[in-house]
Amino acid sequence: MAVRTVKGSSYIARRQYWGLAFVLPTVIFFAIFFLFPILSGIYYSFTDFTLLKPPVFVGLQNYQDLLKDRLFLKSISVTLGFVAGTTIPAWILSLAAAVLFFQKFKGREILKVFFFAPVLPSLIVVAIVWKILLHPSGVLTTVLRPLTGAGEINWLDNPALSPISMIIITNWTIIPFYMLIWLAGLTGIPTDLREAALVDGANRLQSFLRVELPLLRPTAVFIAAISTINAFQGFTLQYAISPGKGGPIDVNTTMSLLVWKYGFQFYRMGDASAVSMVLFAMIMIVIAVQLWLTRQNQY
Amino acid sequence: MTDQTYPALATANRNTSPTNASVKTQRLANQIMLFAIALVVTIVFAFPIYFMVSSSFKAENEVLASPVHIIPEDFQGIAQFQKAFETVPLGRYFFNSFLTAGIDVVVTVFFSALAGFGFAKYDFRGRRIFFFFILTTMTIPFQVLLVPLFIEVRSFGWDDSYAGLIVPGIMNAFGVFMMRQFAYGIPDELMDAARIDGASEFRIFWRIVFPLLAPASASLSIIIFLWSWNNFLWPLIVIKNQDLAPIQVGITAFTQAHSAEPQWAVAMAVSTLATLPVAFLFIFFQRYFIEGMTMGGVKG
Repeated sequence: MAVRTVKGSSYIARRQYWGLAFVLPTVIFFAIFFLFPILSGIYYSFTDFTLLKPPVFVGLQNYQDLLKDRLFLKSISVTLGFVAGTTIPAWILSLAAAVLFFQKFKGREILKVFFFAPVLPSLIVVAIVWKILLHPSGVLTTVLRPLTGAGEINWLDNPALSPISMIIITNWTIIPFYMLIWLAGLTGIPTDLREAALVDGANRLQSFLRVELPLLRPTAVFIAAISTINAFQGFTLQYAISPGKGGPIDVNTTMSLLVWKYGFQFYRMGDASAVSMVLFAMIMIVIAVQLWLTRQNQY
Repeated sequence: MTDQTYPALATANRNTSPTNASVKTQRLANQIMLFAIALVVTIVFAFPIYFMVSSSFKAENEVLASPVHIIPEDFQGIAQFQKAFETVPLGRYFFNSFLTAGIDVVVTVFFSALAGFGFAKYDFRGRRIFFFFILTTMTIPFQVLLVPLFIEVRSFGWDDSYAGLIVPGIMNAFGVFMMRQFAYGIPDELMDAARIDGASEFRIFWRIVFPLLAPASASLSIIIFLWSWNNFLWPLIVIKNQDLAPIQVGITAFTQAHSAEPQWAVAMAVSTLATLPVAFLFIFFQRYFIEGMTMGGVKG
């Protein structure tokens, strides 16, 4: 900022306090509605706390109990399965879709708009629509009948199939969204780079793998990170359409759903807080890896 | 390779000599194949949405018809929509959703712009630490806040009230971050010129900076509306009174319908209505919509 001599430096120094005044409402808000709850959440995780009586400090008891809690241990593997099923396939398929819609052909723009449609409804609406599509003798069963030959498929009630159904639905709703982010990345690559590679004798695939994909690395890391973080928070679908909110036999009880169950179904606020802290730690690891990968990218 | 051969080769590669008919056919075949693949992919992805909309015009027993009726055979007109309004207090749900999303958008955009401007253009004590603090809140999954935030809001006496529903969502760290990026781009000279004319710092914000941030505000408004409109978990736990429930919570009455006759067509009508505001924003403000979503990284 240029030095202003007109009114002297004390004026400039005083002016900076306006900046403080501008950010203060937001800072105070986040102190009240983020910092305070986070800190009290950490505290609650060390307490025996039902809503009926005030929290009693119990040290590490909740965490020790979690180690023996079969539902909690199961929720970790349920969550990891959901993460695996909604990150890697979504990453690959959304990239493939982006490459497809990056090609020039007639009707591309209108098809792209319709392809994007699954992103619009809320997850609750998605859940209701798919509950009908996944009816045992519903649309998906009918479409797959030539392959499976099955008259009825219990997409939601079969313990082996149910988590896969959640994964299919989630992929359906996130792939068009990630496709759009890939597409923004692809559009950002200067065309002369691609042409230079083609001139130098590279074929389309080589040009894509050697020139474009390395340049898309920030996008690739971003999509990998947000899809993982979002998957760790998987809740709404499992809540809304798996039988008995997380069933059958808890195969869809994600950690997020368990936080809700312990906290708001059983009113075991201490246990719920402890589960949420474990979830928090897992997401922090993902974020740390993302930061590390993007830092690697900067030299 | 010399400079002279480069452009010649490039054109040869792209614009393959127009006289060659077989190459022309080849390109046409490529176009058709690309279109065909894209069409199939699009149909697969768009079909459930089409199914939702078309089923809201079907008769109850037609929704599950196998094979699926692409076009409603027993066309119901708006009967299922009317029935939806009779079955649940749909008007209230929509009012509550619009109220929440409207307040969220207005307050978030204003305070994000103000704070983003403050962080970008002023150098005060604590600037870095405050910004870092706001940024870190973005990394915190909402599930971690769920229990303690509910207890806090309850201690304010706000559970099961509009205050509890709306207030915790009226500011957004992503908004501050985004507005700060855009505020950096505003030239200092503009602000200095206004200062010489005697404008106060807030007036500079309100009259000069905020209008210049309009494109960013548009993208932010859309993404905040989307997040707020589609928000489910928080209203689920904070609202018990059906008259205060937003549409996303109200709609769950249909997901757990264990009644003798599930009202699938009515559920589809409600789902269609609940998606309409977002679809409207997408269709009419596509650029801002996509920009906001791409930056936000979270589907609502």
